[in-house]
Amino acid sequence: MMTPLSVLIVDDDPALLQALPQALRLRMGGVTVETADSAAAALARIAVQDYDAIVTDIKMPGMDGLALLAEIRTRRPDTPTLIITGHGENELVVRALRGGACDFIQKPIDRGYFVAALYRAIWAHVQNRKAKDRQLALTSCAEELERIVEKLDRQPGAVPGRAGS
Amino acid sequence: MPEMATEQRQAAVADRGAPVTAEHRLRAYVETLERRLRKRDEQRRAMLHIMGDLSEFNKRLANQRKAMLHVLADYERDRRRLARQTERLDSSRRALLHILQDSHQDKLRLEASRKAMIHIMGDLRETTAEMQRRERELRDKQEQLVQAGKLATLGELTTGVAHELNNPLNNIGLFVGNAVDLIELAVTEKGQIVRELRHAMQQVSKATEIISHLRTFGRAAPVSREPIPLRQVIERALSLMREQLRLREIEVTVDLGPEEPVILGNAIQLEQVFINLLTNARDAVAESPRKAIRIAGSARSGAVEVALADTGHGIPPGLERRIFDPFFTTKEVGKGTGLGLSITYGIIKEHGGTISVASPPGEGATFLINLPLASP
Repeated sequence: MMTPLSVLIVDDDPALLQALPQALRLRMGGVTVETADSAAAALARIAVQDYDAIVTDIKMPGMDGLALLAEIRTRRPDTPTLIITGHGENELVVRALRGGACDFIQKPIDRGYFVAALYRAIWAHVQNRKAKDRQLALTSCAEELERIVEKLDRQPGAVPGRAGS
Repeated sequence: MPEMATEQRQAAVADRGAPVTAEHRLRAYVETLERRLRKRDEQRRAMLHIMGDLSEFNKRLANQRKAMLHVLADYERDRRRLARQTERLDSSRRALLHILQDSHQDKLRLEASRKAMIHIMGDLRETTAEMQRRERELRDKQEQLVQAGKLATLGELTTGVAHELNNPLNNIGLFVGNAVDLIELAVTEKGQIVRELRHAMQQVSKATEIISHLRTFGRAAPVSREPIPLRQVIERALSLMREQLRLREIEVTVDLGPEEPVILGNAIQLEQVFINLLTNARDAVAESPRKAIRIAGSARSGAVEVALADTGHGIPPGLERRIFDPFFTTKEVGKGTGLGLSITYGIIKEHGGTISVASPPGEGATFLINLPLASP
């Protein structure tokens, strides 16, 4: 991948906002990590930048992770969003996944698992984007082809094989 | 008579025959007449005098009569008044007689009462001893209750505290993991590794603080008294509750003024008071549009008054007294033990203070605590 990956981490715990980006930088070479200490700050960030992935805590004062997820789904529907949950918050996990989260990470965070999940999400996102791009390209190719065929149909004799058919 | 004298004088004049005798006779007669005349005149004057005296006397008599009439009228009035007084006196006498009779009966009854009282006093002495025994029992039970309540509070706190503990533990894992990564990547710059480890240490002390606080709180420590700043009590209580309050978006303000009131008491017990009140306030504001708890304190004339107000649904009228009863709760089954406020009440009373609640309709509840200040 040519452009470096950019990830946004949203949590209200300042210590976590120090530890987690450092872990990502160490484990995912060349990644750009930005942080936001509230859902509102996160929304302000995604308005100006399209991240490759967003990781958010689920329990936050003010707008919580689930509400933020819903906002991300309307503003940046393509950006994969991962949810950090406490241990045993299964109900919240289910709600997050139904709300469009692409994965969840339980605290205490296993860095290996976390990085793998993040890669997987970004890879899926990239593949998705690629597939979409290809589909778009294919659609335009098909349209182009149809136009050519129409043009040829209107000029009998232009194509030797088609004359008199 | 004067006519007669004139006649005689005429006769004498006429009778010139006997002039001398007649003259004599006449003279004597005249003298007699003059004498008589003088006498009559005297008598007349005396009579006039007497008449004047009589008239005077008569006048006086009339006056006296008038005075007498007045006296008589006065006398009549007095007599009537006297009759009335006599009547009244008589009825008073009769009433007094009744009263005397009643008083005698009262005295008899009093005597009976006094005898009964002596019996009662004897019973009372026995009852007092029994009461004292029960009171001792109650105090023991109350101590047990305080400990049970503390553990119940601890149980309620656990969820919030687990979350609070989970965060530093998670952060420690991440910081230490980062340090391991740095070492494994053979990063030569030691500063980066040390920074990660320092962060981890900070998180360790944060977790330790939470755990040691919980241990102190749960311990059945002997109830010792020491001078303790009120601000410290409130802040320590808040530190156990902070995470729960923050996640529920409950705004907490503490305003204790410029003074630093110091109370003589047991830090853990007083902390428990505020944890109980904060827990109640937390639950009370759960459904409110504005969620706020305000703690305000002010010290004056040897005591400190702390008000803890919330913006919750308030206390239904008529329950203000009952809320301090043990096992009384308005919370759903399984949500509250009903012990919190009764323990709070007991602790405040033990500290020589008072606690009351005000809950005007349509407003949240305000708990008012009054505690004596530690003498300097």
